[in-house]
Amino acid sequence: MTDQLLVLDKVTKNYGAVQALRGVSFSIGKGEVIALLGDNGAGKSTLVKIISGGLEATSGSMHFEGGEFRPKSPSEAKAAGIETVYQDLSLCTNVDVVANFFMGRELTRSMMGIKVLDERRMEEQVAAAMENAGTRIPSLRTKVEHLSGGQRQAIELNRFVHWGGKLVLLDEPFAALGVEQTKRGLQMIRKVAAQGIGVVIITHIMQQAFQVADRMVVIRQGVVAGDVPTKQTNADAVIGMITGETLTGAGPGEGVGE
Amino acid sequence: MQQSQRRSLEFVLDNLVWFMLLAVLAIFSAAVPSYFQPGIFANIIEQSSVLGVMSIGLALVIIAGHMDLSVESVAALSAMATGILFASSGIGMGITFTPGWLVVPASLLIGIVVGGLIGALNGYLVVKVKMNAFIVTLSSFIWVRGLVVATSGGRSAQNLADEVRFLAIQRFLGIPLTAYIAILCFVGFSFMMAKTRLGRHLLMIGGNEAAAFRAGIKVDKVLMIAFILSGAIAALAGWLLAIRTSGATANLGAGMLFNAFAAVVIGGVSLKGGLGALPGVYAGVLLLSSINTAINLMGLPAHYTQVIHGLLVLAAVLLDTLKQTIRKQLA
Repeated sequence: MTDQLLVLDKVTKNYGAVQALRGVSFSIGKGEVIALLGDNGAGKSTLVKIISGGLEATSGSMHFEGGEFRPKSPSEAKAAGIETVYQDLSLCTNVDVVANFFMGRELTRSMMGIKVLDERRMEEQVAAAMENAGTRIPSLRTKVEHLSGGQRQAIELNRFVHWGGKLVLLDEPFAALGVEQTKRGLQMIRKVAAQGIGVVIITHIMQQAFQVADRMVVIRQGVVAGDVPTKQTNADAVIGMITGETLTGAGPGEGVGE
Repeated sequence: MQQSQRRSLEFVLDNLVWFMLLAVLAIFSAAVPSYFQPGIFANIIEQSSVLGVMSIGLALVIIAGHMDLSVESVAALSAMATGILFASSGIGMGITFTPGWLVVPASLLIGIVVGGLIGALNGYLVVKVKMNAFIVTLSSFIWVRGLVVATSGGRSAQNLADEVRFLAIQRFLGIPLTAYIAILCFVGFSFMMAKTRLGRHLLMIGGNEAAAFRAGIKVDKVLMIAFILSGAIAALAGWLLAIRTSGATANLGAGMLFNAFAAVVIGGVSLKGGLGALPGVYAGVLLLSSINTAINLMGLPAHYTQVIHGLLVLAAVLLDTLKQTIRKQLA
């Protein structure tokens, strides 16, 4: 198995009397793509929020790169190298690709004591990053509002790859995309993983999960109902795990139930 | 549509106001007798200075996705502060300095501090207390004007010192120095918007505040700066107005808010935020002044100016909506 990037151990989350997560344990390796599956209300989003710092776990522990990890805010998780791509993309469509790429981290140069945006250096770096990732965008000076959903997704993915993200959480990233764009997005995810970055993708669409993931983690009623390598399972078995009809195909003991 | 066609159409949309300005100037020059002469154009630029400066601050806040209705009253308060402290007749206290020119930085500084403080209060209520910017600044618009009337007792201050009046009287190439101050402001703040991180962040916050926040931009701080700047710039406009009229009256600048608003929208700043640039706003101000001048030259009763301004605001918002529709079809 690859190096462990993030390990969750019996993570629980209570909202008052309601137990959203009842002890979730699984792990993510470097360069591994995990599909996080589950029915509505299974606790997927809660889990993602706990990893990305939006919520704090009630009990249980997380280890990131071997160290204890308990982020209190999204910025803390970000500083550790965990990036989250939300359903609604985090881009400013009113500015160009370069500006989005460097959002909040703009490069400047000094001109008569005034810090001026260094547009040329930024454009060069974006061009290099895009080329590395094999993404083609006609002009980096195009406003993002004129780009396709897939291109936007590519910008966002390239952005955190460039900024040294170590783990990516994608919350239904293709909900609004077409077939061709989704295919490109999935290719993009494989490229990201090939660079040693861990990827967790939440999706409702079984086909996507099977196309891109190394491993399926199924959450049902706040626990891991299944944790299996993609190659050792099939769609029917996974659907069974999601709905709770069956536990066949469930992973090798690890993290099943409480 | 082809890429090149789209580009050129977008260029026209982005710079629509300049084309409108040229068209309006051409039409008036042809249709209105004695419109086409250097003196008239100099006059248009001169008339644009106070409104222009005020529009800059308003534009900054609108580009960042908010609203500042208090600019007119803040300008009046700044003008009244200058009038009361430094004018020699009426309610003016006639404070003087030795050397005399010190009155210029002193009056400017007091005005800007007063404006900045009101801007900071607006910003605090909008950013920290999370109140609606429209309501907060509408309230400031009312109470600040009230403060102007209260401090002046409804009376006026006249006769500013010659050292300050110099700025309105001294001309260079037929245009008074106050107009150059306005142009300098446009150049400076245009530079800020286009070339610095602060300007870029304002634009991105106006485009998608949540995305900017997620990307680590200190949204609260940047918005706070925008409101403070808006207040301080409005105060500078008021100071210029006081110099131009050599004093201040309780109703000084009344109605300018809507002209500034019209200029900003005509200038291509979208009320939705995240769109627009300051050079266009200056063109918008020049456009309004050109129309005013034409009305004067044609000898229409002054009452009609207000009717026309009202229609212009309507036309400006309509234009904004129309441009957004066209842009959507382009995208």
